[in-house]
Amino acid sequence: MLAFARDWSPPRATAIEVRALRSHLRGLGAELVIVGAHQAWRLRPDDDLFALGELAARELHRHHGTKGEDAVLVLDPAGEVVFEHRQALVDHSTLLAGLTAATEAMLSSAPMLFTRRGFVSTCVVSGFATVVLAACHQKEHHDPDPAPAVAPTPAPIELDVVLDVNGVKRPLRIEPRVSLLDALRERLNLPGTKKGCDMGQCGACTVHIDGKRVLSCLTLAAAAQGKPITTIEGLAGPGQGDLHPVQKAFIAHDGMQCGFCTPGQIMSAAAVIKENRATTDDELREEMSGNICRCGAYPNILAAIKAARGGQAG
Amino acid sequence: MNPFTYVRPTSEQEALAALAEPGATALAGGTTLVDLMRLEVMRPAKIVDINGLPLTKIETGASSIKLGALASNTDVAYHPDVVAKLPALADALRSGASGQIRNMASVSGNLLQRTRCSYFRDNVSPCNKRAPGSGCAALEGFTRMHAVVGTSRDCIAAHPSDMCVALAALDAVVHLKSRAGERTVKLVEFHTVPDDHPNVESVIQPGELVTAIEIPTTPVAAKSRYVKVRDRASYAFALASAAVALDVQGGTIKDARVALGGVGTKPWREPAVETALVGKPATPETFADAAKLALAKADPRPDNAFKVELARRVIARALSLVAGGSK
Repeated sequence: MLAFARDWSPPRATAIEVRALRSHLRGLGAELVIVGAHQAWRLRPDDDLFALGELAARELHRHHGTKGEDAVLVLDPAGEVVFEHRQALVDHSTLLAGLTAATEAMLSSAPMLFTRRGFVSTCVVSGFATVVLAACHQKEHHDPDPAPAVAPTPAPIELDVVLDVNGVKRPLRIEPRVSLLDALRERLNLPGTKKGCDMGQCGACTVHIDGKRVLSCLTLAAAAQGKPITTIEGLAGPGQGDLHPVQKAFIAHDGMQCGFCTPGQIMSAAAVIKENRATTDDELREEMSGNICRCGAYPNILAAIKAARGGQAG
Repeated sequence: MNPFTYVRPTSEQEALAALAEPGATALAGGTTLVDLMRLEVMRPAKIVDINGLPLTKIETGASSIKLGALASNTDVAYHPDVVAKLPALADALRSGASGQIRNMASVSGNLLQRTRCSYFRDNVSPCNKRAPGSGCAALEGFTRMHAVVGTSRDCIAAHPSDMCVALAALDAVVHLKSRAGERTVKLVEFHTVPDDHPNVESVIQPGELVTAIEIPTTPVAAKSRYVKVRDRASYAFALASAAVALDVQGGTIKDARVALGGVGTKPWREPAVETALVGKPATPETFADAAKLALAKADPRPDNAFKVELARRVIARALSLVAGGSK
């Protein structure tokens, strides 16, 4: 999303205001680029405000023909404007209101075109497509100095990586600290892989790399380049229809309650069957011990795995 | 997670040059490093991803098996030669972590994994290992998972590895390389006790890279077992574990190896128990008597005093199992 806001700038924005924006973005899974009169800033849900520079501000104004007017724009992955909301964003509350209006309008006006997830990922994938709200309070407050009072955070070093996910090469520009899990969910529109603990203890984020089950939360996306990655979205292979036999077996045996751990359970189970090291029930439980289910659906999970292994998934 | 720069060298030379830079840390499987970076317990300025190096081989030689530093825990645990010649190592690796983590984790990363002490990991409590000189919250804290031997006034964090316990018992050697050259260090001398410098955990130097772990395939190593006791049936760190090896001939013990896990600030070899076993008949009584000599210098806390007796029983049980299997 892009927000053009002449009267917004970091020195004027309080920590609470920035936190409110972050929380809004986290809800959307989006980035925001705020374009002020002379400067542009990028705000991501989990990063510090990052100054993009005066040139970026000028280019964004020029490209979108805003002629100094305030607006909230939503861009699609190709950088095309898919929604535009023109409103004076004179202070924090009107800025937030502008974002909310854009969000609601997107969700209500195009229900056939955008799912919430689709909308969110549109915002995310487009990279610089995040709300740009900038515009210096300086003007409003008659402050002639356009320079930010706070030193900009050092530029994070981004890498161009290509991830081979479910048979498709996906180019990405990311910081090296981005986990494979976040890259899949937040950048590549593959939210089937779940974020449970984000510290390698629950197994909800299990994916296959090079055919082996691994935890995507403890894998840096940059380090996963060059190897085939399979997520729950791509588990069913050619000729298996929409669902992999293990997925069918989980449905047939009701191997879930709330379903949050289920993609991880299924990815792990498919690998366990392929590894073919476990024969007894106890050995299967041992092999599956890295996938925690808080609902306690374990008996049905075990039944599903045994059925899938025996080819009775139908 | 703090920002960092990332490089992925493709030769050892490049990797060693990158690792020689200040603030550089090697990334192998990432199961410790990425976890601790997200907790901001570790904040390296530069990540040297060593997974582009050709260090994944498991080579069986005439008298040893050499594990490439990047061989995965899974690949080692199920390698037919490891299973046949070093069963305690295979057992130990299979008993550690989960299937996913074993697929990711390398043997060199396992060697260098950090403690699971909750006060170290919380990034808030005083911790001499994380912030030297800040104190040790564990000393007055909850210590069920902490060490009872090798401890100091500054640190009682337990070494978490299962693999290293087997390696300690089986006389493994660590191969290290830096721009200055190569060297080898015995596994039992690789890790250090905390003393007054708990932030130092091993003899590895900045800029040094583990290239391999080599384990002699002796007759005694072929008759080895790893027994682990933990709070749940799977996917938990050891309360107490033992790697033992026995060479029994004609009912008499000719050679023995005993090491403990879950109880020490480093993988804990027990030479006194080994000496007590040699020359004796391989009977449950011998095993129980010898096991009593373990942890003679233990200094437990109230929460983990049970570990002393538990560890002795784990040794006796492991010896019985291996003796039963060797007859």
